Amino acid sequence: MNPQSGPLGVLEDDKDQHSASGILGPSIHSENPQERIQARRLRIAARLEARRREALGEYLDGKKESEEDQSKSYKQKEESRLKLAKLLLCGTELVTNIQVATDIREIHRRVEEEELKRQRLEKLENEVKTSHDKFDEITAKWKEGKEKKIPQELWEMLNTQQEHCAGLIEDKNKLINELQQELKIKDDQYVKDLKKQSDDISLLLERMEEQVKSVMKTFRQELNHIEKAFEVERQELLVSNKKKWERALQAHNAKELEYLTNRLRKVEEYERQLSKQRVWDFEEYNMIKIKLEQDVQILEQQLQQMKATYQLNQEKLQYNYQVLKKRDEESTVIKSQQKRKINRLHDALNNLRLRYAKQIKQFQEDNQSLTSEYKRLVIQYKELQKSMRHFTLIDDEKFREIWLMNEEEAKDLISRAFNIDRIIHTHHLGLPWTAPDFWFLKNVGPISQRQRKSATRILEEVLMQTEEEEEEEASEASESYLDLPKRVSAKTTRKILMLLCDESGFLIESKLLSLLLPLEKDECYLLRLDAIFSALGIENEDDLYKLVNFFLKYQAHHLPSSQERASLALSLDSGKQLDLQGEEEESPKEEEPPPSPRLIHPNDVLKILEAFVMGLRKPRDTRAPVKLLKEVRDSSKDSEYWKALATVVSQATQNLWDGLYLALEKYHLVLTQRAKLLAENSALEQQNTELQVLLQRYLHSKVNSELQIPPIQVFQMPTKPSKP
Amino acid sequence: MLPVTSTQEPVAAATSARSRSFLSTQDRSTTAGPALSSGPKVSKASTIPPPVKSKGPNSGALVRQMRRIIAEDAEWSLATVPLLTELCIQHIVKNFKNNPILKKLPPQHQQKVLNHLPTDLPLAVTANLIDDESYWHRCCVQRWPVCHLDFHGSSWKRVFFERHLENLIKHFIPGTTDPAVILDLLPLCRTYVRRIRVDQFLPPVQLPPQPYSGEQSDSGSEGEMDEPTMDHYQLGDLVAGLNQLEELDLVYGVKDCGMNFEWNLFLFTYRDCHSLAATLKACHTLKIFRLTRSKVDDDKARILIRSLLDHPALEELDLSHNLIGDRGARAAAKLLSHSRLRVLSLANNQVRAPGAQSLAHALAHNTNLLSLNLRLNCIEDEGGQALAHALQTNKCLTTLHLGGNELSEPTATLISQVLSVNTTLISINLSCNHIGPDGGKQLLEGMSDNKTLLQFDLRLSDVTQESEYLIGQALCTNREEARQRTLNPSHFLSPLTAKGPENPAG
Repeated sequence: MNPQSGPLGVLEDDKDQHSASGILGPSIHSENPQERIQARRLRIAARLEARRREALGEYLDGKKESEEDQSKSYKQKEESRLKLAKLLLCGTELVTNIQVATDIREIHRRVEEEELKRQRLEKLENEVKTSHDKFDEITAKWKEGKEKKIPQELWEMLNTQQEHCAGLIEDKNKLINELQQELKIKDDQYVKDLKKQSDDISLLLERMEEQVKSVMKTFRQELNHIEKAFEVERQELLVSNKKKWERALQAHNAKELEYLTNRLRKVEEYERQLSKQRVWDFEEYNMIKIKLEQDVQILEQQLQQMKATYQLNQEKLQYNYQVLKKRDEESTVIKSQQKRKINRLHDALNNLRLRYAKQIKQFQEDNQSLTSEYKRLVIQYKELQKSMRHFTLIDDEKFREIWLMNEEEAKDLISRAFNIDRIIHTHHLGLPWTAPDFWFLKNVGPISQRQRKSATRILEEVLMQTEEEEEEEASEASESYLDLPKRVSAKTTRKILMLLCDESGFLIESKLLSLLLPLEKDECYLLRLDAIFSALGIENEDDLYKLVNFFLKYQAHHLPSSQERASLALSLDSGKQLDLQGEEEESPKEEEPPPSPRLIHPNDVLKILEAFVMGLRKPRDTRAPVKLLKEVRDSSKDSEYWKALATVVSQATQNLWDGLYLALEKYHLVLTQRAKLLAENSALEQQNTELQVLLQRYLHSKVNSELQIPPIQVFQMPTKPSKP
Repeated sequence: MLPVTSTQEPVAAATSARSRSFLSTQDRSTTAGPALSSGPKVSKASTIPPPVKSKGPNSGALVRQMRRIIAEDAEWSLATVPLLTELCIQHIVKNFKNNPILKKLPPQHQQKVLNHLPTDLPLAVTANLIDDESYWHRCCVQRWPVCHLDFHGSSWKRVFFERHLENLIKHFIPGTTDPAVILDLLPLCRTYVRRIRVDQFLPPVQLPPQPYSGEQSDSGSEGEMDEPTMDHYQLGDLVAGLNQLEELDLVYGVKDCGMNFEWNLFLFTYRDCHSLAATLKACHTLKIFRLTRSKVDDDKARILIRSLLDHPALEELDLSHNLIGDRGARAAAKLLSHSRLRVLSLANNQVRAPGAQSLAHALAHNTNLLSLNLRLNCIEDEGGQALAHALQTNKCLTTLHLGGNELSEPTATLISQVLSVNTTLISINLSCNHIGPDGGKQLLEGMSDNKTLLQFDLRLSDVTQESEYLIGQALCTNREEARQRTLNPSHFLSPLTAKGPENPAG
């Protein structure tokens, strides 16, 4: 609130206060001085405020107008609030005034008391001083008195002393009396004060009560005022609202009337329209009725027809129904039969299942046993193969040996024949002898165009060899190496093949792979390589070695190290070409250490393969027909050979020889006869000699000497003539 | 009294309950009950009286029984036979003293039992068992005609126990009364008593006829009685037992001694003082301590204040109406800086300028104190100026009472300077000083710059009416502003300052 609203409230409040004070508040004519003071104060306050109000009067008017537009109740509330605040302030002030008044009285009393106390103390001090002086005087005199010897003087002096003492005591008593007087006065005053204070307290109580009462009263009044204000406001509001309501009601009524007349008019109009419509409708109705009756007749006819057809249909349907029923029955019978059958079949199925299971078990067992047998057989077979290989080797060897032996024999014979022939020719016939020159004569060993081994076989061998190599030592292996290309060691080959096998798995069919899984490692490799080779088109040994060498060559080519290596590889290549044509002519000079297959990077394998396949394409076509030959060693040439050997001596010569033989036989007979004769001759000669010896001996024996006639003499004569 | 049965209408119950409450206050006018109850009940009432009369042997009980019967009557009108529960409850009520059954009952029956319990049951039974306010209300109303519920935390039970305890202490005569009388109560009231307000401590009876015989009291020569025999009741044990105690309001004196007055009756001995100091120190929950009208002089004040230094909870200290001088004031100043004191009252003591100066020194940097009362001392201008200087730096004090301190113009000049600077002060009282017209003008100037002061008492201080009136106007404005600020008109209920013009005391 602005300060200007204050005085307004104050004014009214003061008026109120005045009226209240007329009844309850302090009056100037009161007995209590405090109350009178209060009353005077209030009067002065009222005057002061009246003056102030006059000064502010005009401004307040304007203010009032501005307040008009605020609601009455709000104004009333503000007014009441200010009034009540004022009242409370005044009331509390009124009540506390007593306390303040008492306080100031107390202060005054204290000041006075202090003053009095000070005076009293001063007085007492003075008194103490004077009495002390007097007492000193008296005590001094006592000393004097002691010196006095004369009783009269002493008595006199004692008298005076007594007087002095009495004076002193009188002074003191006076003082005491004074003080007691003061005390009495104080007591009286205390009693008065007490009374006053009790008066004050009763006044205080009275005022408090009054205050409470007046406050209650004014509060109630203000409440009433506020309520009244609210009431008035409400009344006004009600009146205005009622007016508004009435106006609205009137307007509403007028409109209602208007609507009513409009409605009546419309009703008449509609009625007219309705009657017209009715007539028209009636006519139309008749027409429609006639038409509809006709329709009904037609429809009845149709209905009859429909009924007939319906009857027909019904019968048909019934028949159908019967048929279906029967069928149904049949089908149920069949169903039951089928069910039974199903049951039976189920039983059978179960039995079969059982049997099947049993059989599976059995078969499994069989299978196991068979597999084990198979394994055993495989092992046996391997062993057999091994032994077979062994035997073939041995057989070959034997064959060779036998061949050589026979050949030698034959050649011996032939040479003897030739010698004989030559001797015959030269000695007997005297003809110059030319030795016949036959190709087979130069042949040594069995005639075999060394058959090309199939690639797989070689593989197998390589693998087997390497295996065996580890088991058995080199003794046996060295022989078998003879079959291999000499420059490339079996190990290297094997490694290259392994590499190939690992890297080109894509060439193998997946089925095969799955089949390969359970097999042993070596077999697995073998089969894999087989598959790979078949895919690559490698069929025989040569191709394989070509491949191996291609690998090595490629490796050499791609070695970035030196040119020499490349050239060396080229030479190796040429060597390889030679090797392809005839393996017999291989020269040991080319037996250089092959570049280690370790250097072949797995990633390069594919490139190499590609290059190799491209390279292999060309020679393949030309060689295709040859490849099927020489599967088995053919013995056709053998017989030829042997026949040739047999017919090394021609028929003419034989004939010659036959003639010669006959002649020579005759000659021989002659010779033999001659020889016989010669022998006879010689035997006779010998007999002769022996007899001569004997004779000699006889002659020279002692007996002879003893004899008169030595026989020697006798014989000497005959012997001489026998000698030719 | 029987409770309302299920068949009865709620209206009847209400009327009966009302009649009961009326009866308790209206001095048991027997006619009131039936008048309130309906017609048929009255007719039934005539059937009951015979057993009633047989029940009531003494008059007090009879009256109570009568009261009951009327209410019973209301019940009986419709339920001819009392229910078993009613009978049981009656029995419980009758034997409550020997066999208190309350907590086991269902709530509605508990209420009935409580409504019918007699108020003279021994406290040992009821104290910790009954929490119901209405029962304690009945007890209080019966014992004391006027009870201020607001003074006791709005709890009737607390009212009862606090007043009961105060009563016991008031009538305790050391050496004669058995201390067990109070200490026995301790376990019962320990949780309910928060405030002890004793305005009388009886001295020990020395020669029984002596203090009460009229002849010797006049002589006034009893000043030299031996001190130790005059010791009052020692609060130590009691306060140590009350763990909820927050307020202690003591007056060492005797009330209504009449013509038996002796100075000895109003003696606050050193031993009392020491024991009180020890008690205060031990009581950590104490918030308000008042020791008024007990002739506390400087030394005793120092003893007490020393025990209050660094007290954890103390917020208000009132030592008004004692004999405290400058040394005591200095101790109080020390307490200001060593505690969380919010209200300090040294009204009506003998504090002079040095004491006021030390208080001012403590006040200058204090941040706790809200109210300082130095009414009716004698601090004079020197002390007043010191306080005014302190107020220039203080940012906490809201109420300052310097009434009746012989202040004059120089202080007023300084205070007017303070008024234009300080924004925390709400109330200043300078009544009953010699401020004079010039001082009043200066204060008016100071007021013109102040927007916070709501009360400024300058009554009876030689200020001209005009300036006092104008100051009143300024205060009015400030009050309106404060009201606008808080939008709470309750400010108007407590103004105490002077508004209207006042005549000086002369």
